[in-house]
Amino acid sequence: MSHYKAVNWNTPENDYAGMFWEQNLRQFWIDTEYIPSKDIDSWKSLSPELQEAYKKALGGLTLLDTIQSHTGMPKLLDHIDGLQNKAVLSFMCMMEAIHAKSYSTIFTTVNNTAEINELFEWVENNKLLQVKAATIDKYYRNLDAAKVSNEVLFMGLAASVLLESFLFYSGFFMPLWLAGQGQMVASADIIKKIVADESIHGVFVGLLAQDVYKKLPNPEKSKAELVDLLMELYENELKYTDELYTEVGLTADVKEYVRYNANKAMMNLGFEELFEIKSVNSIVLNGLNGETTQHDFFSKKSTNYEKSTEVLYLRDEDFQMDTDPVF
Amino acid sequence: MVTKKWILLNNEIMIKKDDEFSLHKDKEAVRSYFLDYVNKNTVFFYTLKEKIDYLIEQEYYVDFYQWYTFEQMEEVYDLVYEKKFRFQSFMSAFKFFQSYALRDDSGEKFLERYEDRVVAVSLFLARGDVAQAKSYAEMLINQEYQPATPTFLNSGKKRSGELVSCFLDEIGDNLNGIGYAIDSAMKLSSIGGGVSFNLSKIRARGESIKDVEGRAGGVLPIMKILEDTFSYANQLGQRPGAGAVYLNVFHTDIEEFLDCKKINVDEKVRIKSLSIGVVVPDKFMELAEKDEACYLFHPHTVLKQYGKYLDEMDMDEMYEELVTNPLVKKKKVNARHLMVKIAQTQKESGYPYLFFKGNANRSHALKEIGNVKFSNLCTEIMQISEVSDIEIYGKEDKIRYGISCNLGSLNIATVMDNKRIKEAVKTAMRSLTVVSDMTNIAMVPSVQKANKELHSVGLGAMNLHGFLAKNFIMYESKEALDFCNVFFMMVNFYSIQSSMEIAKEKNETFVGFEASEYANGNYFASYVAQDIVPLNDKIAVLFEGMTIPSAADWTALSNEVKENGLYHAYRLAIAPNQSTSYIMNATASVMPVVDVIEVREYGDSTTYYPMPYLDNDNYFFYKSAYDMDQKNVLRLISVIQKHVDQGISTILHTNTKDSTRDIAKYYIYAHKMGLKSLYYTRTRKASIDECVSCSV
Repeated sequence: MSHYKAVNWNTPENDYAGMFWEQNLRQFWIDTEYIPSKDIDSWKSLSPELQEAYKKALGGLTLLDTIQSHTGMPKLLDHIDGLQNKAVLSFMCMMEAIHAKSYSTIFTTVNNTAEINELFEWVENNKLLQVKAATIDKYYRNLDAAKVSNEVLFMGLAASVLLESFLFYSGFFMPLWLAGQGQMVASADIIKKIVADESIHGVFVGLLAQDVYKKLPNPEKSKAELVDLLMELYENELKYTDELYTEVGLTADVKEYVRYNANKAMMNLGFEELFEIKSVNSIVLNGLNGETTQHDFFSKKSTNYEKSTEVLYLRDEDFQMDTDPVF
Repeated sequence: MVTKKWILLNNEIMIKKDDEFSLHKDKEAVRSYFLDYVNKNTVFFYTLKEKIDYLIEQEYYVDFYQWYTFEQMEEVYDLVYEKKFRFQSFMSAFKFFQSYALRDDSGEKFLERYEDRVVAVSLFLARGDVAQAKSYAEMLINQEYQPATPTFLNSGKKRSGELVSCFLDEIGDNLNGIGYAIDSAMKLSSIGGGVSFNLSKIRARGESIKDVEGRAGGVLPIMKILEDTFSYANQLGQRPGAGAVYLNVFHTDIEEFLDCKKINVDEKVRIKSLSIGVVVPDKFMELAEKDEACYLFHPHTVLKQYGKYLDEMDMDEMYEELVTNPLVKKKKVNARHLMVKIAQTQKESGYPYLFFKGNANRSHALKEIGNVKFSNLCTEIMQISEVSDIEIYGKEDKIRYGISCNLGSLNIATVMDNKRIKEAVKTAMRSLTVVSDMTNIAMVPSVQKANKELHSVGLGAMNLHGFLAKNFIMYESKEALDFCNVFFMMVNFYSIQSSMEIAKEKNETFVGFEASEYANGNYFASYVAQDIVPLNDKIAVLFEGMTIPSAADWTALSNEVKENGLYHAYRLAIAPNQSTSYIMNATASVMPVVDVIEVREYGDSTTYYPMPYLDNDNYFFYKSAYDMDQKNVLRLISVIQKHVDQGISTILHTNTKDSTRDIAKYYIYAHKMGLKSLYYTRTRKASIDECVSCSV
């Protein structure tokens, strides 16, 4: 008979699970807090080409988040040691579902039902997008077995990091680039919350992958496999970028950005960078910066506030202060 | 759509070389913005005459010929253009052209440059007095004073909104009163005003209606309606409507009120865009300090028992009575816990504002006439208000005071550099007075009444941190306290003098002057008792070349006021001024900067804004508000507050690691130091790099 264990948060399992749990909680948000309806006028002012690219970018992102919440996270969770790590992954899994829904919160605000249906059909039928999904899914499906080797687990984790830290960004480029120039700004608030989440997901899963990597008898082989996978996805990503961005003239910028994020994914996995980066579009790069920004509360909602996870009460001494008048 | 070059250049400021930001890129961005965008999109006129005539004929400008000859106007234009004004940062230029410059009806071409806007505002406010127009123009082009957005944006335009931005009113506890409030909200919002309401008189959830218990819906449903009203009635779609509501902390709906900002709460009771504020009487702070049981009251049962609104009672006097009266329904809570709940809500949403009612009324110059009961959308307006009795059709309403206020800010750095505190304050007071006199909000009679009888204005200040840094003074230093004490005393002096002179000229005072603290001289007591002078040599040097009013001057002023009265019931209020400080290339208000390069998200853009006068020598003096001990900031505000008859928008800057207890301690400190209000709490997030690096 097997013994079932309860998750014990009293004893830290590792240096980081507790911290990521806290950070995830603080970052918690839901799509309906934001007000994309403010973007309706902006949307109407965009050229049809930009609208098309924007929709498709978000459609592609929806697919990736769907895979991540329905397959990626649950499969990884099954094979990861440590109940606290599992708890963190399951929280992230829920957030991925919220992400997948929140792209729709943007479409449903600016598009009609026919356009939305058409977009989802495009997602299902677009070869490059499907290749992207199938490639990642293959590594997740390898985790179907009850017990898997560390090599298989590592590749599953690595695929997840590639998805979170690398593949998302060809899609994120569009909303960040527009928002930096004053278009679709309210919707970008949602995108920025997603970016902030994906960045901690990438780091966390990356740390899990590094732990597994250390246990591999023949790590170089797995690393080679990872680089092959990345290059395969990269080739596909270039074509996908051509398809989405050629008409709006942003292909070169997006490709540089894709390489930049491929490097980030490698770094999250503990490896050196693969590509040489010349210059990434500053507008988009600055848009990624999760640091606190200034805003006017009347014109937009802030993305700066977080759940307060710790509530401390007042004591008598808190009322004793030096309050002598200055003059 | 290609990437806009000027935006790219502005973003490139953030690229670090040798650990220094690429600040020169900002100048390139300004240049590119003009060459590649503004100049290409500006309508060209061969002569000034052609321009003025076109703008008037095409109904862009009001007919200035009713007041001036062409030659007179030309003089004002010449004066302004000779100053060779240049924008000092991309943010300033961008904000001006984006939001303020007049465009043609297609919205594509600019019809004005900064100089033209300055002239239009000056001509419009001077109403035909050429000398006055010139003094306005000089003050504006020198960037010594900046009118609030509605005045700067709308003056001189034929098709435009109102010049006043800020309105407040009470809501009566019945359907007529609520209906009046919603109607006012819609109308005031549509003309561009930010509107604030006091909900404290509304009966709580579960109270009786027509003596049937359990029927009242409380304050939340009214907030929901107001929120939707503001979002519907935007200013021709130009900017979203904005509103705030205040609730007394002793109202039983207070917890529900605070919870409306929670992230996952039912849609019916969630408030997304309406701002909220809590009215905090001294009694509440006292209960928290003593850690005694705190009772919240059902306001309708209070009204039925005493014939007086809970919100209008002096809680120091009435609290025990209400607690012991069994017919007043109440709810017991822990005051410290409630304070921490406020802190928690602030951490999660930035709200609520706090209005310290006791502090606001202790020094209130109209205390014999009425109380200050709540504040506005930016927590700097503090004036008397009284709920109107709104009747059914056919019966006459009893209209009482709402609040209307028009604002403007001095630029501390330029008035100090030009040694023109006196001139700038007086000219600014004139221009604010004109706006008040011209304003007639007939559609909301309570607001109209207040403006007509009280002529309230709110002169504020900006660029404090910029000025200090430029002079190598730390914001948190003793020297800064010394500077503010003298500077704001002078602003107070000259604004009173100006108000007295205007009253004398017009032979008119605000209604109720005789009963005010100005008339009986109490207001002047501390000024008459002792000279206020710079204590520090460095600060004394900054004031060289200007006369600092002495105690004797104050005595003389006090006598002149007694004789001639004051035109304005309220004069000073320090607003947060965001957009306008960008145009002025100034740091906002009297607050410390948040960063050496501010990342500014607006509804319509993201822009990088290097702080004014920033260079490698003074870098150190631009310490971020987030890195300051907030008590130092609050102490500085307490010094300024002594010289300001209304309030000061005061923002708390906290970090993710600050606990609810830390934040609640700031409330206690602010209250004890005599601050009248606290505006938002902003939180700097810990970035994930930071948390990973310290624990992995």
